[in-house]
Amino acid sequence: MDSEETRGYRAFLKQSVWCLTSQYQVSFSFFFLFFCFVFSSWSFFFFQIWWAAGIMFQDITTLLLDHKAFKDTVDIFVDRYRDMGISVVAGIEARGFVFGPSIALAIGAKFVPLRKPNKLPGEVISEAYVLEYGTDRLEMHVGAIEPGERALVIDDLVATGGTLSAAVRLLERMGAEVVECACVVGLPEGQRRLDGKPLYILVEPRLSVNY
Amino acid sequence: MQPGFSILCFQASADLPFLVFYQRKGVMHAAASLLNSSNLSLRFASQTQTRLSPWIAAPSSVRLPLNRSQNYRIALPPLHSTVSGDSTQPQQMASADVKAQDPRIAGISSAIRVIPDFPKPGIMFQDITTLLLDTKAFRDTIDLFVERYKDKNISVVAGIEARGFIFGPPIALAIGAKFVPMRKPKKLPGEVISEEYSLEYGKDVMEMHVGAVQAGERALIVDDLVATGGTLSAAIRLLERVGVHVVECACVIELPELKGRERLGEKPLFVLVS
Repeated sequence: MDSEETRGYRAFLKQSVWCLTSQYQVSFSFFFLFFCFVFSSWSFFFFQIWWAAGIMFQDITTLLLDHKAFKDTVDIFVDRYRDMGISVVAGIEARGFVFGPSIALAIGAKFVPLRKPNKLPGEVISEAYVLEYGTDRLEMHVGAIEPGERALVIDDLVATGGTLSAAVRLLERMGAEVVECACVVGLPEGQRRLDGKPLYILVEPRLSVNY
Repeated sequence: MQPGFSILCFQASADLPFLVFYQRKGVMHAAASLLNSSNLSLRFASQTQTRLSPWIAAPSSVRLPLNRSQNYRIALPPLHSTVSGDSTQPQQMASADVKAQDPRIAGISSAIRVIPDFPKPGIMFQDITTLLLDTKAFRDTIDLFVERYKDKNISVVAGIEARGFIFGPPIALAIGAKFVPMRKPKKLPGEVISEEYSLEYGKDVMEMHVGAVQAGERALIVDDLVATGGTLSAAIRLLERVGVHVVECACVIELPELKGRERLGEKPLFVLVS
């Protein structure tokens, strides 16, 4: 039996709300389709890797505890760069300092540290790069390298490529030719900001924890 | 008289009457007087009148230049001045009497650049980046450490951020040890233990990953420079807290005036350049 309420203002309100939301029902369906696409296709896989590389910290200190794995890491880089005529290895503070000097010693190159501001004592040139929030600077000693030298940039991890591209710009401002950038861990997407400079990566980031 | 001495006499014309007077007393006395008469701030000069033979047996690194004048200061092999500002302090003279200086050390110490007034006025900063630009000197530095430690059964090399990361890993790779970074706060991602240490003004904290080292392991601590020894002693305390035996601390440069060795107590400290 219809009561008076079902035909009153409440019924009118319900009907009007339903009309108003009906336009959102269309966009809701689009969102629904979008999420279906994302969660059902291969693009979700890459999405998760991108998300993981930022949030799942790739900790190389355990690599340094495994002497054989650490030695193999350095050996792979050395085997690759030994015959490329590289005279400068530039390492980015501070985890680049862990891998760079060993490679430099083995290939007979000099090692140049690229550091955060106000760490290097002499005259420096600096380059700004963009972080997720804000900017940071990378500095290098003036006179550390001469124009025309062939350089290699080393870091432990490449994510967006911002730091690496700042390092490349720094070296090129001093007249060096950056042969390649080398990282232990990274995504191929990190090369996007390197303006065509080759990027050599040993391993890709892992998504799962293993401790 | 020795021929060298006569050349000295000829050159040091201002001292000639002095020399003639002392000729009778002997060559060594005259040489000592020459030293004392000119403005040389050599620590051992005061000892020459009482112990002349050790002066004569002084290390080969002391080269008496032939063109001496009244105010000429003997240029010793490159030793690095510290806060005291006197650039001819022969800190190594005492130890050089008892051990021969490795010939590679001269190349290493000449590759180190001293920058005044960094980070604060009055501080002479020992810059090792120029050492890293000299491939031979850098290789010699690592070789000297590796030769010393490769048979000491060391399983852990701990490097102190960030310049310890430059020297530590090559040593660790060469002696077959693992490398453990000791870092400033909030850099290491996993679970850490931390140790507080005091700076000239204020305090700082050093951290190490839990589980990086096991109790009973033999460790070596590497840093580029030891000044007051505060950072090194914090590293020693961190490692000993987890039961590791710290065999030695190794640094490239030591600033002896700041008495880092005393602060480390009984822990041995090995440095290349003083």
